Amino acid sequence: MDPVTAILQTSILAGGVLALAALGETLAELVGVVNLGVEGLMALGAVAGVATVVATHNPYLGFLAALAVGLVVGMGFATATVLIRANQVLCGLALTLLGSGMAATLGKRYSGTPSPAVFGPVPIPLLSDLPILGKALFSQNLLVYLIYLVLPILMHLVLFRTRLGLNMRSVGENPAAADAAGVNVARIRFWGVSLGAALAAGAGGYLTLAFVPSWSEGVVAGRGWIAVSLVIFAGYRPINAVLAALLFGLITSLGFVGQARNWPVAPAILSMLPYLGTIAFIILPVLASERLRRWMAAPAALSVPYFRDQR
Amino acid sequence: MAARLQRYPTAPPGVALAARAAAIVLALLTASALLALSGLNPIALGQQVIKSTFGSRFGLEDVGLLVTPLIFTGLSVAVALSIGAWNIGAEGQFYAGAFATAGVGLYLHAPAPLMLPLMFAAGALGGAVWILVPTLARAYVSVSELITTLLLNFVALLLVYWVATGPWLDPGGHALGTTARIKYEVPSFWGDVHWGFPIAIGLTIVVALALRYTVWGYEVRISGANPNAAIYAGMPSRARLIVVMLMSGAIAGLSGFFEVAGTVHRLQGGISNNFGYLGIMVAVLARGSSLGVLAGAALMAVILNSGIILQTKGLNVSTVLAITGLILFYTAIGDELAHYRLIWPKRAEA
Repeated sequence: MDPVTAILQTSILAGGVLALAALGETLAELVGVVNLGVEGLMALGAVAGVATVVATHNPYLGFLAALAVGLVVGMGFATATVLIRANQVLCGLALTLLGSGMAATLGKRYSGTPSPAVFGPVPIPLLSDLPILGKALFSQNLLVYLIYLVLPILMHLVLFRTRLGLNMRSVGENPAAADAAGVNVARIRFWGVSLGAALAAGAGGYLTLAFVPSWSEGVVAGRGWIAVSLVIFAGYRPINAVLAALLFGLITSLGFVGQARNWPVAPAILSMLPYLGTIAFIILPVLASERLRRWMAAPAALSVPYFRDQR
Repeated sequence: MAARLQRYPTAPPGVALAARAAAIVLALLTASALLALSGLNPIALGQQVIKSTFGSRFGLEDVGLLVTPLIFTGLSVAVALSIGAWNIGAEGQFYAGAFATAGVGLYLHAPAPLMLPLMFAAGALGGAVWILVPTLARAYVSVSELITTLLLNFVALLLVYWVATGPWLDPGGHALGTTARIKYEVPSFWGDVHWGFPIAIGLTIVVALALRYTVWGYEVRISGANPNAAIYAGMPSRARLIVVMLMSGAIAGLSGFFEVAGTVHRLQGGISNNFGYLGIMVAVLARGSSLGVLAGAALMAVILNSGIILQTKGLNVSTVLAITGLILFYTAIGDELAHYRLIWPKRAEA
């Protein structure tokens, strides 16, 4: 395989993890709840995926299990942050610690062994025969098509072209106004957060069923936090989130390529690139221009719990 | 005459404290229930923990060794919180401090009496440097320090792992993935417990007094509680923010210094034991009170030590992290619920 195809293929595969998690976080943040538990949710999803596949040898069930675990845990998180209205930062950090710790404890027995069944490439006829791009773009696993095409477009249409989407965004911008207009703030926030958490855990399932593909402690390796940052970098827009994730997939794959080709840089330094890149990408645009800064602005009510009697 | 819940803007301290205690108990109960489900006997485990921790001087020394870095990282997070900044990067600053300490200890040749002070300074500086970019980004362009500090944790972890297994690897080859033993050691204070322990307590008290009784501390607290009011009153909020965040990084770096020079005497990959993340927990439990940091650190040290004692029973550090997360989760909920009071409205007289 020629190097360009290899880099592109790995970038898309690696970016998929971040894209799915970032889409989930976009959903949560647009309705006004910051979920810092993505890292923990991804760890739980990663273990749930592997455990299910070990039992059933079916990657689809594994991915569904990851989504389901995320939904249930997300509903717990939403109960705390939306219904009880506890501090979102604390609950998110708690979820990261709890999820990472629980996943490591439960996943010990699966540690290091390759997932027995994984998502294999599903080449699209004709397109996959194209030179260079064919193998990279059209010979990926099913989840890649779902994450890069179906989900972001669907989310974009719902969020920006439907009444429901308008309601969701208004809850994130000005819950009091939305409430006065008859929108059920708590319900929209609850399900936005829960579904977002399901996607985050799904990203963990993707990690262990389509990308790495095996479970080990620390396999998530900060990807949850990178996903949270990508949402900011993408200006809280789903299609941009996916493009940003692809960019980070590229940075990640440069690390792999560098190791494979013996670049004169320590592998550890190459592994730092995604984290340093993330920091650069959330600081630099803000420095660049006031317009960009406003374009990147967070939903106005982000991380502020809504109390009806304190308008 | 229905009773109803009324939310108050602030939680009464007594209720808040009770909610915290309830959160910890509830978290331990939940963890016990989960352990029981997985076939372990939580009561027997608990007895073993209490016996191993408080039953002997060695147990107490172990807790003393763990509590020292936790006081530093907890104080680090708490100091930043006092001005409204979330330093989630104490873990990375710990590593950066440990890295700088080991670098000076291994490769700088100065007169022996100067070495410990130099390593101390290097540790503090390492931590401060590690938080410099997030600090400036927060102070000048309002980029959330929460994510930038956190992402640097992974960079620091990779850096330390790399030097400990590569360029700084023990040339004697006695141990895998660690540097050579560093000759300069923080002297013992009580058994295995080194002088870092009293210094941590002293520093906590000094910081508490500075925040409480100086103009500087007042400006820091107001800038944290209400940034607009602080600016309106002409306080140099930005300067305070920068200094406080750098201080926070330096304190976390000191945690790394004492761990390297006092306890481990080498630099190695997993040296932090999650002290940075547990420090967040300590600071949250302390609820803005510096003396609370000491209590929070003691509690977390006992919990962490329990995890280490129970390693033979199939538990590990990850289990401790999970239980910590559970405590934090219940604490957040308890904090919010403490704002509510049950009131019995009198029926309006006709």
